[in-house]
Amino acid sequence: MRPTTATALVRCWLRGIGAAAGCALAAAGWAEDRGGDGMVLIPAGEYRPLIRSKDEPERVAVAAFRLDVRPVTNAEFLAFVRAHPQWRRSRVSRLFADPGYLGDWAGELEPGPRAPADAPVVRVSWFAVRAFAQAAGKRLPTTAEWERAAAAGFTQADGASEPGFQSTVLAWLTRPNPEPLPVAGSGRANAFGARDLLSLVWEWVDDFNTSMVTGESRADSGLERTLFCGAGAAGARDPSDFPAFIRAGFRSSVRANYTVPNLGFRCAQTP
Amino acid sequence: MKTTTGILIFSFLAAASAQAVAPATPPCCPAPESKPACCAGPKPATAATAAACCEELKSATPFTGQSLYLLDAKWTDDAGRTVTLGSLRGRPVILALFFASCEYACPVLVSDIQRLRKTLPESLRSQVQVVLVSFDVARDTPAALAAFRARQGLDAGWTLLRGEAVPVQDLAMLLGVKYKQDARGQFSHSNVFTVLNAEGEIAHQHAGLMGDVSEAAKVVAAVIK
Repeated sequence: MRPTTATALVRCWLRGIGAAAGCALAAAGWAEDRGGDGMVLIPAGEYRPLIRSKDEPERVAVAAFRLDVRPVTNAEFLAFVRAHPQWRRSRVSRLFADPGYLGDWAGELEPGPRAPADAPVVRVSWFAVRAFAQAAGKRLPTTAEWERAAAAGFTQADGASEPGFQSTVLAWLTRPNPEPLPVAGSGRANAFGARDLLSLVWEWVDDFNTSMVTGESRADSGLERTLFCGAGAAGARDPSDFPAFIRAGFRSSVRANYTVPNLGFRCAQTP
Repeated sequence: MKTTTGILIFSFLAAASAQAVAPATPPCCPAPESKPACCAGPKPATAATAAACCEELKSATPFTGQSLYLLDAKWTDDAGRTVTLGSLRGRPVILALFFASCEYACPVLVSDIQRLRKTLPESLRSQVQVVLVSFDVARDTPAALAAFRARQGLDAGWTLLRGEAVPVQDLAMLLGVKYKQDARGQFSHSNVFTVLNAEGEIAHQHAGLMGDVSEAAKVVAAVIK
């Protein structure tokens, strides 16, 4: 047996164990996590906004930043609400989280069978996840940062030019969510070492409210001027990037206290 | 992704229409048995009594769970004074986000709110406070806000505020206002104003420009009564 085959087999074996036991993220995911803290460095690059005004540049520079390898889990969020009681289900103001907040959890401090410890936490509001990030000494990624990280393919920095990558992303969009959700980070790592950006849950970004797609499908390419100042000049970049439209639509349709069954988050940090 | 699709469609519909929230039980001092005219009543007591009553009210009861006044950020007005939104408790507030160098929408938004105020009887109009908070944390200094006030001819019924980036973002998030600065430093933003009841809860939101403001005016009048 050649060494390369052996290595591949060991990797497969590790992944198999991980899928079964839910602990492999630590083994396989952390392999790309060179700092050992569950984050990867996303190198400086650029982001091509989906929708921009005619005065805005086609490409926006994104400085290097650090991003969690995988979405935040129920176990991690439980530790947060234990330490910060104002974010418990019974205490949070409706202003900051709607009544569905942590609705999958069996109890106030008990995620239970519908929210396994290693699965991504969902039904969390923007206000709550921002508080989590602050408590962790981190922040939420911006739209530009998140899209920059998610634009990478499995093997290339530009997923759009990697054969089969876009179809894998599309396939996720068409599949119903498994219940309960799988282990966070069990998906294949992208070229930057981040996992499950496009294969597990939707994720909050810090500036989701900069996404200005209207509810009117006929107005989406030229936004309603009386509703959005300056939006009359907005135009779309690449109509074929369907998943990017879905993400923009999702971001434009939520409010900061909304909680959604498949909307989770991960944190970022400025290096 | 069935759930997501459903939510998307629902949310799109919700986002597309002006959101009207039923006004909560009306205003002012919480003790129903005493029913003082207080600071928001249609027939206010003397200025001194009203002020004392408001002070008592402010300190006596915590803000409700839905009150925007839970946001305890410090703002600065165009005269350089420090202001908290909670100090407006007890009266109806019309709240909007704007920026002083806005070329198109903000002056129209201001004239829409002026139009709304003109439909109110004089006795009610004087009790309404309009609050404009700037997105433009870099350029909208108190002096820039003061120049906007002069340009638009805004009286004491208008409060113009500036704040730091995080509280501005928080307020925009609470109001569901979208905004984005473009390369020229201009902001794209939702054209929406919000009516807050005496407790600082959202009673009504009016989206769009140059529209019919009568529903918003009704809510303002209901908050006062």
